[in-house]
Amino acid sequence: MAAEPKPEDLRFFEMKIRPVLAENCFKCHGAEKQKGGLRLDRAEGIADGGVSGEPLVDAKKPESSTLMRAVRHADGVAKMPPSGKLTDAEIADLESWVRRGAPFPAATKFERRIESRHWAFQPIRSENDSDLDRFVQSKLSAAGLKSAPSADKRTLIRRATFDLTGLPPTPEEIADFLADESRTAFENVIDRLLASSAYGERWGRHWLDVARYADSNGLDENVAFGNAWRYRDYVVRSFNADKPYDRFLMEQIAGDLLPDAGTDGVIATGFLALGPKVLAEVDEKKMEYDIVDEQVDTLGRTVMGLTLGCARCHDHKFDPISAADYYGLAGVFVSTKTMEHFKKVARWHEVSLATPSELQRQADHDAAVAKLKDAIKALTGKADDDSKAKLKTLKEKLAALEKAAPELPSALAVAEGKPTDVPVFKRGNHLTPGELVKRRFPIVLAGESQRELPKYRSGRLELAKWLVDPKHPLTARVMVNRVWRWHFGKGLVRSVDNFGLLGEPPTHPELLDWLARCFIKDGWSLKKLHKRIMLSATYRQSSRFDSAAATADPDNRLLWRANVQRLEAEAIRDSLLAVSGDLDRTIGGPSLAHVKNRGYLFDHTSKDLTSYATARRSIYLPVVRNNLYDVFQLFDAPDATVPNGDRATTTVPTQSLFFLNSDLASHAADSLAGRILAKHDPVERVQSLVELAYGRPPSETERKQLLSNVAEFESAYANETDAAKRTRKAWAAVAQTVLASNEFIYVR
Amino acid sequence: MNRPYALSRREALRSTALGFGSLALANLLHAADGATKAPHFAPRAKRVIFLFMKGGPSHIDTFEPKPQLDRDDGKPYPGTRPRVVFAKTGNLLKSPWKFKQYGQSGSPVSELFPHVAQCVDDICFVHSLHGTNPAHGGAALKLHTGSDSFVRPSMGAWIAYGLGTENADLPAFLTICPTLAHGGVNNWGSAFLPASTQGVPIGNASTPVEQAKVKYIANTNLPRGVQRKQLDLLKELNRSHLEAAGPEAALEGRIGAFELAYRMQTTMPEAEDIAKETKETHKLYGLDDPITAPFGRQCLLARRFAERGVRFVQVTHSDGHVQWDQHGDLRKGHSKNAREVDRPIAGLLKDLKSRGLLKDTLVLWGGEFGRTPTVEGGGNDGRDHNPEGFTVWMAGGGVKPGFRYGATDDYGWYAAENKVHIHDLHATLLALLGLDHEKLTFKHAGRDFRLTDVAGRVVDKLFA
Repeated sequence: MAAEPKPEDLRFFEMKIRPVLAENCFKCHGAEKQKGGLRLDRAEGIADGGVSGEPLVDAKKPESSTLMRAVRHADGVAKMPPSGKLTDAEIADLESWVRRGAPFPAATKFERRIESRHWAFQPIRSENDSDLDRFVQSKLSAAGLKSAPSADKRTLIRRATFDLTGLPPTPEEIADFLADESRTAFENVIDRLLASSAYGERWGRHWLDVARYADSNGLDENVAFGNAWRYRDYVVRSFNADKPYDRFLMEQIAGDLLPDAGTDGVIATGFLALGPKVLAEVDEKKMEYDIVDEQVDTLGRTVMGLTLGCARCHDHKFDPISAADYYGLAGVFVSTKTMEHFKKVARWHEVSLATPSELQRQADHDAAVAKLKDAIKALTGKADDDSKAKLKTLKEKLAALEKAAPELPSALAVAEGKPTDVPVFKRGNHLTPGELVKRRFPIVLAGESQRELPKYRSGRLELAKWLVDPKHPLTARVMVNRVWRWHFGKGLVRSVDNFGLLGEPPTHPELLDWLARCFIKDGWSLKKLHKRIMLSATYRQSSRFDSAAATADPDNRLLWRANVQRLEAEAIRDSLLAVSGDLDRTIGGPSLAHVKNRGYLFDHTSKDLTSYATARRSIYLPVVRNNLYDVFQLFDAPDATVPNGDRATTTVPTQSLFFLNSDLASHAADSLAGRILAKHDPVERVQSLVELAYGRPPSETERKQLLSNVAEFESAYANETDAAKRTRKAWAAVAQTVLASNEFIYVR
Repeated sequence: MNRPYALSRREALRSTALGFGSLALANLLHAADGATKAPHFAPRAKRVIFLFMKGGPSHIDTFEPKPQLDRDDGKPYPGTRPRVVFAKTGNLLKSPWKFKQYGQSGSPVSELFPHVAQCVDDICFVHSLHGTNPAHGGAALKLHTGSDSFVRPSMGAWIAYGLGTENADLPAFLTICPTLAHGGVNNWGSAFLPASTQGVPIGNASTPVEQAKVKYIANTNLPRGVQRKQLDLLKELNRSHLEAAGPEAALEGRIGAFELAYRMQTTMPEAEDIAKETKETHKLYGLDDPITAPFGRQCLLARRFAERGVRFVQVTHSDGHVQWDQHGDLRKGHSKNAREVDRPIAGLLKDLKSRGLLKDTLVLWGGEFGRTPTVEGGGNDGRDHNPEGFTVWMAGGGVKPGFRYGATDDYGWYAAENKVHIHDLHATLLALLGLDHEKLTFKHAGRDFRLTDVAGRVVDKLFA
């Protein structure tokens, strides 16, 4: 086939035909085996028809083509596939494909090695010294567009503060910035924000989105991950310390194997252990492989932006990842201990973090229990009243003692298991094992000739090292793109969790590579990356609307202005608490869930006992899978079942009900009213209200509007006889309205 | 016009506060858009009421008698047991309840459902449903979402996504007193579909039904007049902000959402106000009897929502326990459960029929699995989970009335005749609503997803 087929034909082939061929035919008629001398994974094979020498297809007579007769199980040809007939729909698709002339991508393109030409699998380009804005400007001018002018200082500090800390700037911080007329004024703000502990809470929370962090298992048996919080705190600490990203990843994948990582190294591997698991799965082998699958899939999406999980049941239908690639990686996790046992209800593995003195306390306790038990044993069966009374007291004592058992600190973490290679499971089913695959990394990324993974270890450490190798084409690109997404609301690659063939190509490929290079060169420092981005003119431009640009580039892919962004669920709640003055800034610590480690968050009673009545920052609230805190749910926080680096922003009326009617909103409004009532002059109160909520002084119109509303609300509350209470209620009603408004939760 | 209760992109633009008409703006809207789609073909049903019997009612004790099981009571089960079972069970156990045939159709019903028995000529039984997951969580998720291993949109969300709602002042998908255990919110969640398609819960299984309400639907602190004033002020603040921020569809959409929310505060309580119903209607649903009143109220609410154009209403029968899960105490447990729902269900069917609603309202009844023909527990009075073959039934909405389809084997363990997989049930349900399960797709994470994944077959034999 000389000419490259038409794009729509290729698309049809990729969507409808290739999956059918890959699943049913390639095994025997592909790269590895060519039964009957036939290869169906290349155009030539179909044209020459194997040993028969007859073309398999004839566009003019599709029905009588050998291929069609074979799949229809017609007489006189081998019935294909031998394992069972294709569905009617699949056969119809094949026929339509044959009718189109059996368009096939040029042979070279179809092969895995060549298919790795996909942009994301290429080495990161090395760029000469440049700067971020040049990349953006060149695209804009090519499209005849201009970037927006720089945003004013108030807008800028509000944007930067939410961006780096998830909190609004205080009026004092704004005043300082306005007063700072130096050239480095904005840089000073960024430095201050990056140094604040709120930075780690904000960006740690972003990472938790892609680490699908939760404090409960979810799925069928929703029990508490009572020690997950240690991982959450580790993440916050790491961001605040600007831990190099390569190190950060290494710790999360193999921290227990790093000689100098200590306790944090163990805790970090919680990343692998935190996934949702079907703990009452009756088929224990299935459970084991489901858990491994969750790990492989999470690792793929989070670190490499690849949907590796797809290759569990068949060669990836779109990306050059084979089932063998998948099982090569799966072996690494089968060789890792995540679970203590798989019996129903299964129990995950934890690693004790107890210090010698804590262990001693435990030993003392155990000894005391044993002693009491002996004493009870000695008295049991004795009939005299004295013994009976003694027995009763002893039993009570034992119960009390057991209740007061010291809880040893432990971490939800993995450890090395028994090194095992696993076979390819056909259709992902462990009951139909195929060929054994040595533990290894995907060929498209790591090549055909890989150094063998160690026999006596899982290979996790090697996996971690391979991922953070500066030559890895995906790790740095995926992370800088995530950071870009969390700053701008959209990634340079918009499909932030999918860099595969079905993902979107980058809008600014050179910029992406340049950022990735700089990131690596800067020692994988995230704080340097933030600064590089935030000091650019691109970041600093205003969100000014331009109808010509909006017509030419409605999605703002070329970055002709700043995106108007809604705050995320956590930032909405934190901001409500912050402006009301109620926010409790305590950092870190154990889960606020009401149940102990491994306890049920929900039993059959469906009673939700988790309390969210706390003024701590949202990152410290329990993340309960299957029943996420309703405020988070309402405002699009992910359910923490799969990594999600690109939260949705929805607008639904139930969100409005929250602002109108929830206790949280009305409490915040009441506290905010209390704050501004400290001022006596109503004009000053309005001034203070608007400054706290919007970070700017009110306009003259707003001043009048708000004051007249206060008066109206006061008269609406006429039957409140206490004048002070009436005033507070009226101001609270106004404050609640201000907090419900768009300006409070949209950042320009 | 049909549309989900979130503002559609088109509507947000049309009702734009400042009147920006540019179509290019449409793409600026961040809000996920659940814009209306017409069905793929002429629908037989317009809406669904799903009566979910949490825990797994026993098919062989309710709607599918097994004479062979009666004969072999106490003997070992002669067939092959499933490779994985939830618990160990013993010998065969015949049903403690007698069956009789009812109506023109002669459909058999056990003593457990004397009132539903009077409606069999409106009912289409499927006796050969099967899944694979023998645990409550997995099976409930499979039934609701088609997947027991991934978080996927619930069928109600898919239907809301496909058809929108007939009433812009109410959600498209409501779930009354759902259970938070065993998949919890994922059983009515929208997963990657637009948030406007997710089920809005009215209370949960631990809320007494008369107290069950949509979260934040009412304000207990503010006089209504104050809230109206707040909304007026809010509109002014938002408009001047919008003028400064430039046209931004998301900002405009949120202005509309507040008005809609304000209206919902009236429409929800109005829909929930069953005091307006006649005494006869209350009686029909069993509200005059404390045992049937709670589920009766749920059923009556379902009718009122269906009447008002809600697309998918789920009614869950579950108390503080896994209601229908009789590993032991089968006689007592199933008697109690059936007693609670029998009259209300019959009442719902009769009421829908007399109001002319049954013809385009599909009622679906079932649990996450059936139960084993073999005994569990020492008391000779329990059955284990059985996902291999069980009964669901449908009524109205274009299904064959007085019809029985499929069967389990002689003992009731495996679906044997005309098997219907859960995926097939989903495909069939969508087809009744005029939706092609292979075309109702949503692009997510780089590929198209369906309720039926890569499976599903429409069982058109069930169609009237």
